Amino acid sequence: MLTFTLRRLSLFLFTMLVLTLISFSLSFLFPGDTVINHSGQINATATELAQLNEAYQMDKSIFTQYGAYLTHILNGDLGQSMASQSPISNEVLELLPATIELSLVALLIAMLVGIPLGFIAAINHNKASDNAILSFAMLGYSIPVFWLGLLAILFFSIGLGWLPSAGKISLLFEIEFVTGIQFIDILLSESPYKWQAFSNASSHIILPACVIALAPATIFIRLSRAAMIEVLAASYIRAAKAKGLSFQQIIFRHAIRNALIQIIRHVGLQFANLVTLAMVTEVIFSWPGIGRWLIESISQRDYTAIQSGLLVLSCFIFIVHILTDFIYAALNPLARGNHHGS
Amino acid sequence: MAREKIYLEEVFPSPFMQLWGIFRKTPVAMVGFCCFIFLVILAIFAPIISPYSPVEGHLDMILLPPAWHPDGNVSYLLGTDELGRDMLSRLMYGTSLTFGLSFIVVIFSLVIGVVIGSLSALTRGIKSSFLNHFLDVILSIPSLLLAIIIVAILGPGISNTVWAIAIVFIPQFIHITRYAVKEEFRKDYVLASRLDGASNFRILYYSVFPNIVERLMSQATLAQSAAILDIATLGFLGLGAQIPLPEWGAILANGLEHFYIAPWTVYLPGLAILFAVVATNLVGEGIRHALKLRKEN
Amino acid sequence: MAVLTMNFKSIFSLTLASLVSILTGCNEGNKLSLSERSIIYCSEGSPESFNPQLSTSGTTSDASAKQLYNSLIVYKGKKNTLGPALARSWHVTRDGKKITFYLRKDVNFHQTSYFTPTRLFNADDVLFSFNRVLDKNHAFHHVSGGQYPFFQSVKFTELVEKVEKINDFTVRFILKRNDSSFLANLATDYAIILSEEYGQSLQKKKKPHEIDILPIGTGPFKLKDYRVGSLIRFYRHDEYWQEKAKIEQLVFDISPSKTTRLTKLLAKECDVSSYPIAHKKITERSDLTLESMTSLNVGYFGFNTKKEPFDNKLVRQAISLAINKQALIDTVYQGQAARAKSILPETSWAYDSETPELTYDPVRAKSLLEVAGYAQGFTMDIWAMPVQRAYNPNAVTMAKLIQADLKKIGVEVKIITYEWSTFLRRLSQGEHQSFLLGWTADHPDPDNFFTPMLSCSSSEKGSNRTFWCNKEYDQLLQSALSTTNMTKRKSYYAKAMAIINEEIPLLPIAHSKRFQARGVDVEGKILENFGGISFYDVAKRSINNDVNTLAQPEIADKASN
Repeated sequence: MLTFTLRRLSLFLFTMLVLTLISFSLSFLFPGDTVINHSGQINATATELAQLNEAYQMDKSIFTQYGAYLTHILNGDLGQSMASQSPISNEVLELLPATIELSLVALLIAMLVGIPLGFIAAINHNKASDNAILSFAMLGYSIPVFWLGLLAILFFSIGLGWLPSAGKISLLFEIEFVTGIQFIDILLSESPYKWQAFSNASSHIILPACVIALAPATIFIRLSRAAMIEVLAASYIRAAKAKGLSFQQIIFRHAIRNALIQIIRHVGLQFANLVTLAMVTEVIFSWPGIGRWLIESISQRDYTAIQSGLLVLSCFIFIVHILTDFIYAALNPLARGNHHGS
Repeated sequence: MAREKIYLEEVFPSPFMQLWGIFRKTPVAMVGFCCFIFLVILAIFAPIISPYSPVEGHLDMILLPPAWHPDGNVSYLLGTDELGRDMLSRLMYGTSLTFGLSFIVVIFSLVIGVVIGSLSALTRGIKSSFLNHFLDVILSIPSLLLAIIIVAILGPGISNTVWAIAIVFIPQFIHITRYAVKEEFRKDYVLASRLDGASNFRILYYSVFPNIVERLMSQATLAQSAAILDIATLGFLGLGAQIPLPEWGAILANGLEHFYIAPWTVYLPGLAILFAVVATNLVGEGIRHALKLRKEN
Repeated sequence: MAVLTMNFKSIFSLTLASLVSILTGCNEGNKLSLSERSIIYCSEGSPESFNPQLSTSGTTSDASAKQLYNSLIVYKGKKNTLGPALARSWHVTRDGKKITFYLRKDVNFHQTSYFTPTRLFNADDVLFSFNRVLDKNHAFHHVSGGQYPFFQSVKFTELVEKVEKINDFTVRFILKRNDSSFLANLATDYAIILSEEYGQSLQKKKKPHEIDILPIGTGPFKLKDYRVGSLIRFYRHDEYWQEKAKIEQLVFDISPSKTTRLTKLLAKECDVSSYPIAHKKITERSDLTLESMTSLNVGYFGFNTKKEPFDNKLVRQAISLAINKQALIDTVYQGQAARAKSILPETSWAYDSETPELTYDPVRAKSLLEVAGYAQGFTMDIWAMPVQRAYNPNAVTMAKLIQADLKKIGVEVKIITYEWSTFLRRLSQGEHQSFLLGWTADHPDPDNFFTPMLSCSSSEKGSNRTFWCNKEYDQLLQSALSTTNMTKRKSYYAKAMAIINEEIPLLPIAHSKRFQARGVDVEGKILENFGGISFYDVAKRSINNDVNTLAQPEIADKASN
């Protein structure tokens, strides 16, 4: 496990280095003055500009410049947004938790729906229900997520009036910002309307989370179906059958466990996919997350925000990736061994 | 190996023809294939067969519902948008943008990817290992996210979108080609031609490629369905095709404003995207299914 | 506690109800108490600051002027006569050069988490507010940029010699010359009163810029929270000098996307929506109403006369001739607007019915382009504003139509749009070639169209984004202001309109109504006759008669208790 950890750690450091390098070089690639792209201070006066040049060591060699840039980032200074002129680190701290919350709920839904369906399909391999589930999976995989979101709003929010269409909570409720994860903040707050706020927040998250969850759920169906088919064909299952265990016992005691380990490996990959879908969905459901913010920044050419937003988002995705690797390794000792890629 | 047919011989269909034979017998796959061909034809001939210009408005025919609606007009079969532009013509032209461009993009990345992939399959050692790690990192990022990142750097616009998506798909093809070529090189028939004294490139061209082409095609359909969704999504977000290009995602975004009074401006482009993606996926599923059956036989 | 008095059964049903509500999201019953006392307003953009003095953007004055502040005088009633507000009464000398205001003695400033006033409103506050604009050496003049576009465009600084404090509750304005629009300007959303005491305390804290971000005023609401791009939360000002506002909480839900605003309105997530689209959809719903207010405004297509090729009068004329205005009105305004013949609406008393109008004539446009040396056409950009305004409900669609029109005379158009505050900033830097924008009058005086939109002074530091400057035109406006004779003024303005028609720094397109949609349970007047909106009179009627037995905590700022 130690070598595994060390290897992952070195990969992590290496990737961070590459990501910051890319982010650093973006300032040069974007139009406009490099130091202004770094800092986002578009209205800087001559003296402020001189200070910035000093702070980012712009007169020194490119390596020193990168060092200065890295120091700024490590100190939590991501510059300020060109559009709103407020510090990006504050905006990111406020927005990223909302995206994490949405993605986690969506991941949960996707797994809760997708994995059992995949198992059912695998158990009924090549039967009508298998085909039905597979057709559903393909349809779900093919629907453009933004279109699905719109249809969901039209049907559930406006047609039936069941679920709200925008935001993460009704603005009437004032929830103090602590962690940024809405549900935790509500539970921590001392508002007299705590439980109303809680149910309001839950009703707000259902629709966007389900929309995001659809495509990953279909992937979980395929994954779990494939994993289950593989497991069911394995020799230890045959051994269990020979022992005279009932079908249910085989499935619940042996097959599901082993199939699940195979699936967990893919959760990290799916999470990245999920965050991307969340970015689009946030736009449609006006969810105050980092995806919507980043897309707005791109269309407004807010270079400082794009640069830092991409850095934060890719770091986040990468960290989740490594975390799932760890979980998988912890659950499955076989994976800790040689891992040099295919 | 050309051969004079002077005596009757049992004909062995090529692997590709075998595949087609199986593919043809799967009705769902054939339906998907017909739809796919239909879309290709539409993408090529859209300017000739579309009834109106996609950008020119008919200001006396604003927000006309589709023809089956009581207020509809048969000369505008699918209705019009807020500037009186014919939806049918816009969707037809959109086929060449969303579907046609995705097709070209995939072919482009396929060619580049196959070239790099086969070259890298022939190399070993540190270069190969580096490439491997690099591909692992790139492939773990979803294509849409990567495309958004590249568009963020290049700036919004349809040509930048196309470049972004092309760049995004190349690693996929490198990966699959490399993997497939390496696998084939381990097989006996390659050894046979090697013993005949064939060079690596000759082996690649005459022996390996015919055997991996189906796998590449299957990957290409996956890539294309993703490309359609990516182009449409970027168009929808306003990062792709700009006003007034009739790209499906952009048409949909444009129709959003009139969603509640003219829902067809949102339903129709969405259906078009769904149709194209499903058709592509059906073809892909068909190929994969046929590959599996061929292997089993 | 009310809960204790409930029997087991009701507690059980309550638990069940909240469980159901968690599962289905139907929680109208529980939320009633809170939502009944609050209004959510879906607004179209983020304000740049909370001080209307600093801006001419309607979004900023909507969010600040009538909510947070008061002026000395206001427009009242159907006939738009001037009435008292913070000034109980006023007196104008016969030569019109000295105007004395007698102030109210019972006006409280806001008490918030960031400031607690120790004294009532008095003459010092009036002096502070106006001297900030007038006096370049004033401690706050240069805070937040030092630009006061409205005051600069009406030449307030040149007009006012000084503001004097006679005693604690009397101030006198001394003017350099008689100006017939002076009182009207004081009644606008821009001439608001700030707190001098707050200014002093901020100066001590060395944070003077906070005066425009964390506002203190005398208005019916006080600011609780502002998150750029997301929300503004106001609480009621309980010590308001008039009767308290009827609602306790006012939330601006900032939703720049028109579709999102409509969706929220239809899904009942906001009570009132600014600039709604799809009027047909709203009117067919029984639980929503659509209201409109005739507004003195003009939507126009402006040219940057400092940039090629629009520095050439012939090009401007050619482009204007090539645009089919009637089509724009039918499509963009859905016929709900009057075609603009000049910048002044026909409802204004100063409008001259003889004003000629440019007609749609693409053939002549083409020949004019040839004369101007652009026979091959050229490529230009149109900046379309991203937000809706009464004068232009959909600038992007309008730009698309213009794009199609201009293509016919060989001019290629690129449409550019940015987020609202970025758009305005870049516009003021003159980065554009042409732009779609408009103007809403702040008061009924016709000068409010001519001077801020096209005068030289506002081209330097104000709201004239065509950067057009014509000495003859300015002279005419000056002459019109120095007289109170209506007929004379009218003839001066007619001449000014003729110059605009010839030079075409901008092409007036339409005069439109301002629309607003709300749920039927929201009562009271929101749209003001001039300028913006006010939530002072708004109340919410309860739809549901189930009285909630749970304790109803007051919505109040903890710091103010």
